[in-house]
Amino acid sequence: MQVEHVSTGHPLADSVARFAWLIPALPLLGFALNGMLSLKAAGHPGPADPSAGGHGHDGTTGGTGDTGGHDAHDDHAHAAGRHPSAGLVSIIGPVVLALSFGVAVAVFLAMRSVGDAMHAPYILTLFEWMPTGKLSIDVAFQIDQLSMVMMLIITGIGFLIHVFSVGYMQDDPGYPRYFAYLNLFVFFMLLLVMGSSYPLMFVGWEGVGLCSYLLIGFWFSDKANADAGKKAFIVNRIGDFGFLVAMFLMFANFGSLSFAGVNVAAAEVAFGGALITAICLFLFLGATGKSAQIPLFIWLPDAMAGPTPVSALIHAATMVTAGVYLIARSAVLFSMAPVAGLTVAVIGALTAVLAATIGLKQWDIKKVLAYSTVSQLGYMFVGVGVGAYTAGVFHLMTHAFFKALLFLGSGSVIYAMHRAYHATHNHADAQDMRNMGGLKKYMPVTFMLMWAATLAIAGIPPFSGFFSKDEILASVFVRAGHSTLADASLLGIPGNVILMGVYVLGLAAALMTAVYMTRMMLYTFHGPNRTGEKEQGHLKEAPWVMTGPLVILAILSVVGGFVNLPAIIGGTMSEGLHHWLEPVVGEGTLRVLGGEEAHLSHSTEYALIGTAVAIAVLGIIIAMTRLKPEALVPAKDSPAEKGIEKTLLNKWYVDELYEKTVVDPTLSVSRTVLWKGMDTGIIDGLLVNGSAILMRAVGWAGSQLQSGRVGTYAWVLLLGVLSVLSAFSFR
Amino acid sequence: MNVTGFLDGMGYNGWILPALLVLPLLGALLMFAQGMLQRQDAESAMRASRSLAMGIFMAEAVLSLGLWWSVDVGSVEWQALVDVEWIPQWGARFIVGIDGVALMLILLTTLLMPLAVLGGWTSIRVKTHSYYALLLILTTGMLGVFMALDLVLFYVMWEVMLVPMYLIIGIWGGQRRLYASLKFFLYTMVGSLLMLVAVVWVGIQAGKGGPPVFAYDAILEMSRNAPFVGSFWLFAAFAIAFAVKVPMFPFHTWLPDAHVEAPTAGSVILAAIMLKMGTFGFIRFAVPLFPEVAMHPTVRMVMLVLAVIGIVYGALVALVQPDFKKLVAYSSVSHLGFVMLGIFAMTTEAMQGALMVTISHGISTGALFLLIGMIYERRHTRLIEDFGGIAKVMPIFATCLTIVALSSIGVPGTNGFVGEFLVLVGSFPTQPWYTLIAATSVIFAAAYLLWAVQRIIYNPLVKPENMALKGNDLNWREIGLLTPLIIAILWLGVYPKPVLQKTEAAAERLVHSVETARMSTTRMNARSGEGR
Amino acid sequence: MTFDLTIPAQLSAALLPDLLLMGGAMILMILAALRPESDRHQRTVGFASLALVAATIASVVWMAMRGDRAEMGGQIAVDGFRWMVDIVVLLGAAGTIALSIEHNVRDGITAAESHVLVLFAASGMMVLAAGRDLMVIFLGIEIMSIAVYVLAGLNRRSARSAEASLKYFLLGAFATGFLLYGIALVYGATGSTQLNVIGDAVYRLGLIDDPMLLIGVGLLLVGLGFKVAAAPFHMWAPDVYDGAPTPITAFMAATVKAAAFATFMRIWYESFYFAWAGWAKPVFWLAILTMVVGNVVALAQKNIKRMLAYSSIVHSGYLLVAVLAASAMASMAFTFYVLAYTLATFGAFAVVATMQPAGQTDARISDYEGLWHVRPWLATAMAVYLLALLGFPVFGGVGFFAKWYLVQAALSSRAPLAFITVVLVVTSVISAGYYLQVVRVMFMKPRPDDAVEPAPVGVLTRVVLAVTVVLILGLGLFPSRLVEITSTHGFRAYPYSPSLGVSLPMRER
Repeated sequence: MQVEHVSTGHPLADSVARFAWLIPALPLLGFALNGMLSLKAAGHPGPADPSAGGHGHDGTTGGTGDTGGHDAHDDHAHAAGRHPSAGLVSIIGPVVLALSFGVAVAVFLAMRSVGDAMHAPYILTLFEWMPTGKLSIDVAFQIDQLSMVMMLIITGIGFLIHVFSVGYMQDDPGYPRYFAYLNLFVFFMLLLVMGSSYPLMFVGWEGVGLCSYLLIGFWFSDKANADAGKKAFIVNRIGDFGFLVAMFLMFANFGSLSFAGVNVAAAEVAFGGALITAICLFLFLGATGKSAQIPLFIWLPDAMAGPTPVSALIHAATMVTAGVYLIARSAVLFSMAPVAGLTVAVIGALTAVLAATIGLKQWDIKKVLAYSTVSQLGYMFVGVGVGAYTAGVFHLMTHAFFKALLFLGSGSVIYAMHRAYHATHNHADAQDMRNMGGLKKYMPVTFMLMWAATLAIAGIPPFSGFFSKDEILASVFVRAGHSTLADASLLGIPGNVILMGVYVLGLAAALMTAVYMTRMMLYTFHGPNRTGEKEQGHLKEAPWVMTGPLVILAILSVVGGFVNLPAIIGGTMSEGLHHWLEPVVGEGTLRVLGGEEAHLSHSTEYALIGTAVAIAVLGIIIAMTRLKPEALVPAKDSPAEKGIEKTLLNKWYVDELYEKTVVDPTLSVSRTVLWKGMDTGIIDGLLVNGSAILMRAVGWAGSQLQSGRVGTYAWVLLLGVLSVLSAFSFR
Repeated sequence: MNVTGFLDGMGYNGWILPALLVLPLLGALLMFAQGMLQRQDAESAMRASRSLAMGIFMAEAVLSLGLWWSVDVGSVEWQALVDVEWIPQWGARFIVGIDGVALMLILLTTLLMPLAVLGGWTSIRVKTHSYYALLLILTTGMLGVFMALDLVLFYVMWEVMLVPMYLIIGIWGGQRRLYASLKFFLYTMVGSLLMLVAVVWVGIQAGKGGPPVFAYDAILEMSRNAPFVGSFWLFAAFAIAFAVKVPMFPFHTWLPDAHVEAPTAGSVILAAIMLKMGTFGFIRFAVPLFPEVAMHPTVRMVMLVLAVIGIVYGALVALVQPDFKKLVAYSSVSHLGFVMLGIFAMTTEAMQGALMVTISHGISTGALFLLIGMIYERRHTRLIEDFGGIAKVMPIFATCLTIVALSSIGVPGTNGFVGEFLVLVGSFPTQPWYTLIAATSVIFAAAYLLWAVQRIIYNPLVKPENMALKGNDLNWREIGLLTPLIIAILWLGVYPKPVLQKTEAAAERLVHSVETARMSTTRMNARSGEGR
Repeated sequence: MTFDLTIPAQLSAALLPDLLLMGGAMILMILAALRPESDRHQRTVGFASLALVAATIASVVWMAMRGDRAEMGGQIAVDGFRWMVDIVVLLGAAGTIALSIEHNVRDGITAAESHVLVLFAASGMMVLAAGRDLMVIFLGIEIMSIAVYVLAGLNRRSARSAEASLKYFLLGAFATGFLLYGIALVYGATGSTQLNVIGDAVYRLGLIDDPMLLIGVGLLLVGLGFKVAAAPFHMWAPDVYDGAPTPITAFMAATVKAAAFATFMRIWYESFYFAWAGWAKPVFWLAILTMVVGNVVALAQKNIKRMLAYSSIVHSGYLLVAVLAASAMASMAFTFYVLAYTLATFGAFAVVATMQPAGQTDARISDYEGLWHVRPWLATAMAVYLLALLGFPVFGGVGFFAKWYLVQAALSSRAPLAFITVVLVVTSVISAGYYLQVVRVMFMKPRPDDAVEPAPVGVLTRVVLAVTVVLILGLGLFPSRLVEITSTHGFRAYPYSPSLGVSLPMRER
């Protein structure tokens, strides 16, 4: 690939950074290779039924789905054994990730060494994409502190999850296809964060959506999975519509679509004006789609239909956080539009609470984690919404650590559960917590690691989650006191009131988070085992290729918080991330704060930390005391929920609502009114065929006049004569 | 290598366009001759005829490739111009010449025809000689439309396409082929006969009392100086003729029937090339010859509204189609709506986008129809509900279908995105609201195509007929004919620059001339105080 | 050379082709009567008639080449228009004879006179082409008509044929009455039966509003309208065309119509030019009515001969547009059109004739199902003719340019006849409905198992088919030569207006 340096003279120009294009290129290569392997295997009859392994490992989504005929599938799958080219694939897949992680680290070090000398981002231009008229879009990578953080997270965690997958998916007949998709996803995700312009980011944006579609529907032979994939893609597309419109507005008004160009032009427009607000809101619509916020959060829980490592990588650690990244990336714009900022914060807070409430009542272990993801994303949006971009990104990072860990942990639990059920040909649901319990005895390592993650997400110091969550809440508090947001107002409600409300919602969500996470741990690992006598013998820890990555993630979840310690605690080594991101989001943050750095008296700060911790502890205690794992019975013989519990279990019936109000009307109108009515009815039936029929009818009538009797003809002739003559006489 | 020099050496530009027109005709004669001489069974007749046809089409394609280098798209002159006397008394001349736009459409045609032939390689079994002869004549007609620079010649070529396609649909088509073919013929004829009157009238006016003049340049020149008498009706006549071909709502209902009943090659050609003649007609004739009408606020609004209706309406109706071919047909209505939006938005970006959609729709939809043909040959049904889980037994087919569907949806990285994005981003500055509505189709497009794809290649594999497809995945011929299309899909998606550069100059010229014309008329109106 | 028609010798010289044909025909009549009816005999007479026609054509071409002209005045015209029409007429006659020589055999018609009657009719038509005096024209019409009445009833075995002939005769007589009365009134109004004198009078005396003249024009319109089968005077056509032997139908549909229209054009152009405002409206509505009625009713036909009958009515409607345009260009478009139309019509009826089972006059469209599979070339030829009648380019060959020429003439005439042109093209869309009906039946339907094997195509018919197809397609690609010929063989620009510098109110554009 021929690479030209646009920003020569940039401190990074001659460093390793000029090979940054390798970071996305390597996963792409991996995709190509694995894809070929999978098609090649497909060419000659390989292991038959791709769905078999699928069911074998994951069971059907949700507690309900049919479990009939699994063993038939499974026997088949296991008989088929590993995929012919599995060995090669399990080398290619992770290795490309390892390599690109290596490059990323190298670039990171280079940036560190450059240090503060680097103010402008380093633009690495590959080639012109769509040059026409006034529009010129390059395929170029923007390497700055923000994209660097994302690159490290994506490639790093991506690598770990690839390794985990080697174990988790080993028996799956679609093995190469799986790794191909996974590599492709990483490529697009890197494109998303490295792209130097909105359109290029959009490419990654849609690309990751595509991969998530493919991976959610990976076991496509189950209609539920295929549906989930489709749902995810289409809901995302609604968001993408917003993203597109935002781009149109930018091009029409700023004449540019590159981050640099837009940021420069945006400084010119009126602060808080309609234009900038509209742009931000449309961008946010895009974000709500990708990051599963109200009103578009519905797709993420269904997305759990995919293999669990996918849920960990795409639907927890990386893709779903793209929305947060988008807003952080557009910090300059959002800091100009306080109303948009408030909207983001409110939506985020509401989502956090709503999802948390639903999480309280889920039985499927992955569903619990899914809703907690939605809720945590809400937190991040609160952060970036109130202009605490660093805090948002910080939580994004820590969340990536502990949520990936939680998912992979649940993955190995499900793995073990399934093994057990498979051995005894039991058709029970391997993901329903009511069928688990007391697993700590059988899988101690997973048990330990997941508790660490739980404490992290619950916000217990010194685990990473505590710092990031606390910083978000703190910054909301600060801005409620004094900021451009506080001065603005949304729907007539003054900003500071709204922000206080957001703060309270945040605390509530934190409380519930602690509760449902503890609940999950209790039901899964504590209390008596409800798997069944025969099965217990088969329950055992997952192999090291799977637990290894868990350990690394656990370490990160524990110490991850130290990259951005609050000044009050950290002292010299405090606020590392804050300083690191300064060049990118600093300006925006400052503008939101109304010019001067935030200052909280130490007492208040301690008070805030205190409340946060207290809330978290309280939540855990509530769960510990109120919930009785002993009282639980296996899924099949547990009674149906009623009342509010039922409502929560059914996620407030939001899906049903959309189904009734959007999907069904669209379909029925299209079918009855547009197609049958307009197309075949009016246009075709009435106008096209109608006129033809009319013509034939008239013609038939005319030929009836052709009776063959001369008399008639003579009369007609005479009539003609008279009319002609009259035409001549009276004209 | 210096291709240009080599081509100039053999005077390529001097003879290439007539050669491209004549070669298929000779081929058709050859085909008839072979058909007469050959007294064997249908099987061997099929083999002989299809290989002959393939040879001719390949020759045509190779011959046309030189245009990529030989044509100087930057210059304001017509390229590869050939101007010969034809009917002097009527001022009708044989003038052919191309610019960047025509270049791309011609290449699209010549390169797609061999694939279309391959598409029907085994499915066309009766009267093969006549079939391929008609295909060849059709090719002449289509190329003629793209290169004609004389209105009489253009009209003749425009009509020439009609009969072969009519027969192809009617003879080798499906169940309701009689209805579909007649509908196709009459629909098109209504429009084109009105255009005939308009053409004659324009020619007479251009003649200024003397014998009529039909040379494009002369007429364009005249329209620059002063609008034609009754230019509104003239525009209307042209516009209807082209709108039927595009097809724009509400003139679109011939398309679903024609597509569904036509044999694979027919559908491919219809969708990939013939529909483009409508949009090409707007770009080459309707808009530049009557700019003040085309840009008249009311007229423009009507066209834009119809275009946007087409976009959304086509998508919504596609959503509920039980027949996959019909679904794709309606998706064409939607896509071509984008082209019309781009044309009437009148910005360089939008115009470029329109041309990009024109090309990429040709590739993607052509590929879709080929894929439908392949699965139809195996299952003899096109009803979506009859499929399901095919990906398990036909993974290669599934992969290709997915890629093509994605490009038709307009996923970034595929050709589909570039076109639609350019149209929308280019139209927004002048037509924000229409663009906003049009942009919603990114949602619908995903909905109808992914849903269809899911019901065909995903979902449980239960039907025995579908299970029986195991080991009957795409063969090498089919893979071979899909590969170039898929490469094109990705290439145009990742690096459309070369194509954009080819059409840039022409698009800019058109936009500029139309804009200036509009300015002058508005000024005139301002002076005279009332509209035209 | 330029004839002075007042000198008998020069007059007869100017009439050379007509005299040649008539004289020859009379001799052939005697020859025909010499021997008892037999198939061989009708053949010989037939070929003799063909030879005679060929000779006449030669003489016409020779005179046309010499560019003979005559001064204004005189009862007969010596101009390109006449020669052109003569050629069309004689070609028609040749085609008819060629077809009927073979068709008579299959219909068991042994009357050798049939061919001679065609010659008589043809000579009548030539008189029509030449006549510049209403009396001469009336003569021509009668010579033509009476011969054709007989020809229609040629097939004595067939009741339908007899009925057709009788109908034609009765209604024809009816119409002739109007024609004659019209001539009388015009004479009364202008004091002359000589076309140019009438025109002169109309122009000088400004008779545009003279009721007598207008009624006369109206009655002439009726009479000629009947001959060209323009609605509402068309009722006879379908029955007669259907009943008559197919070659004769072709003769009537193409040649009779051409001749009648030729004189129609001439009268209207030379005499009633300045009364345009007077007769424009009736002719306008007549044309529209004819186009609509013919096209719409044709849709409902199951019998191909009746369908073609209505299509010939339709073409009368189109040609009325040329009359309406009343310009030199219109006359050129007219000659071009009738030539193309004659080719296509003869071709189509040639196919019908061969497809007709022996002794049966009823020719159903359904008989053509799957014809392409058993007689590919015949089907293809038929498709060409039908597309030519439809006026479709390339495949319909010269038919398209005929329509083009007509549209051009209409639009470039006085106050451009935009509306009627649009009606013309729109109705011709309807015509696609029934022309394509036959194409689709031939090509897209399978051959029914019980369908009878079409009879082998005779040699003469093959010749007719080949010639017509080649001419249609050839002229369809390179019409310029024919355009050139016709453009020198129309009426000269109107004799009065330029010389006297008259500006016509309706000429304004």
